Amino acid sequence: MRRVLTSLEEAASIVKDGDLVTTGGATFHRAPMEFVRELVRQERKNLTLVDREPAMDFDLLIGAGCVAKIRAGMLAFEVLGLAPNFRRKSEAHEIITKEGACQPIIAGLRAAAMGLPSLPVKGMLGSDLLDISEVIGGYKQVEDPFTGERMLAVRAIEPDVAVIHVQKADEYGNVRVEGPFYEDVIKAKAAKMVVVTAEELIPNDEFRKMPQATTIPHFLVDAVVETPKGAYPCSCFNYYDADYGHIQEYLETVANDQFKEYLEKYVLRERSS
Amino acid sequence: MNDKIEMPDLMVYAMASQIKNFDTVLHGVASPLPVIAMNIARKTHAPDMAFISGAEGVDPEVARIYPSSFDPRSNRKAVGYFGLHEAFDLAQRGELEVMFLGAAQIDRYGNTNLSVIGDIDRPKVQLPGGAASAFLMPITPRVVVWITRHSNRVFVEQVDFVTGQGYNKRPEEYRNNELVVISNLGVMNFKNSERVMQIQSCHPGRTVDEIREKTGFDLLVAPDVGETPVPSTEVIDLIHEIDPDGIRWTEFR
Repeated sequence: MRRVLTSLEEAASIVKDGDLVTTGGATFHRAPMEFVRELVRQERKNLTLVDREPAMDFDLLIGAGCVAKIRAGMLAFEVLGLAPNFRRKSEAHEIITKEGACQPIIAGLRAAAMGLPSLPVKGMLGSDLLDISEVIGGYKQVEDPFTGERMLAVRAIEPDVAVIHVQKADEYGNVRVEGPFYEDVIKAKAAKMVVVTAEELIPNDEFRKMPQATTIPHFLVDAVVETPKGAYPCSCFNYYDADYGHIQEYLETVANDQFKEYLEKYVLRERSS
Repeated sequence: MNDKIEMPDLMVYAMASQIKNFDTVLHGVASPLPVIAMNIARKTHAPDMAFISGAEGVDPEVARIYPSSFDPRSNRKAVGYFGLHEAFDLAQRGELEVMFLGAAQIDRYGNTNLSVIGDIDRPKVQLPGGAASAFLMPITPRVVVWITRHSNRVFVEQVDFVTGQGYNKRPEEYRNNELVVISNLGVMNFKNSERVMQIQSCHPGRTVDEIREKTGFDLLVAPDVGETPVPSTEVIDLIHEIDPDGIRWTEFR
């Protein structure tokens, strides 16, 4: 095992301009918000973001001008509203939006995780989504060689970097996720580089006492950063709940054309210690 | 007293009625009405249903709902976790019986749009995206689409973009899967040989003429059209208990 514990600044520098990036969690839960804020502080540009159902993490990066392209199944703030920066920049053609659907995006990540060039999925046929020229990877109708069933083959999606916020990790990159996993294990296997931000560092011995509780083993992980409150204002199960009031405030500031003030107050000035 | 029953409660009850006992049911993102409906079904006529939360808990005790349908607090007392990608695998096996999906537009064949208003390359409005719609619409045995604002801007002659596939767009082998549309005016299905939308029941106080007038295409009427059943006070109490903050009203504002 090699020690991969590092600082947030160092870990964020793993992400290069123009990279294909995916984030762990789903909507407002275990999104790697502090890492995302660091990417904003480092003024990363031209990222392509891919995920099944992201929310504020993607919208913040879009608003801060870090993003060129989006591929998502759905990008919204659930019942709180539409994703404001995503909507504005997509309608103004400042970013390229290529909607996917949840299962094909997961299938693309799964293909990469399995070392396969593509993976077929059912459903999908007949949707206009198939007509959208793809930004990353792509779709192709195929026939199963055994049954002749028509399906959609999804090209592997291999992110340059997957960033995953978790509850516990050790200095070598062993990870323990508590509560739902979402597609985090698949993403850790699919991406070329994996950055883990963790609420808490625990000793390697703790992992050895209960190996069945290890979600991601160390050899998949390239950097670990101790990042308390690293998902805030999103939730981190067993540590804190989503702060829906803060998320509402975000929506209101963007709606009132004050996103710059939001960045100033919560992102640029709030360097983590 | 029909006029005392509030619209979210009536729709939730109609949605819950689509679940049968022993069904395996999943809800997705941004789904307060489906989450409440699944809970009502489980606490009334479908105690043995398998409840898969979008928050990934299996058979959780959903004490209350949150602004996010994926809030991990919804997984309290779950028997285990089942990832969304695992639920999608189940759907590919044909073993996910019921799914609830939304729509910004819908046409007579049941094609739904959650992607864009206007042209896909020049969107007038960028919508959130269909999430699992294009994947689950054709292959799921019973899909329930809920729409809280029934008007001819939502029920349109032609959707701007086919996100979820209606009966004229899906492969032949999925033509027998059921689609039910529950709006704030009535319950619609496609149980006719052409597989086009028809009114199955009008909500109390609504008429066939009114619903047809507020629909942008020639909406058929089922031969046995009736009135949508209303929830009992016990069911209404359950709904209010699980949603003390009134999150269910969000989509009606």
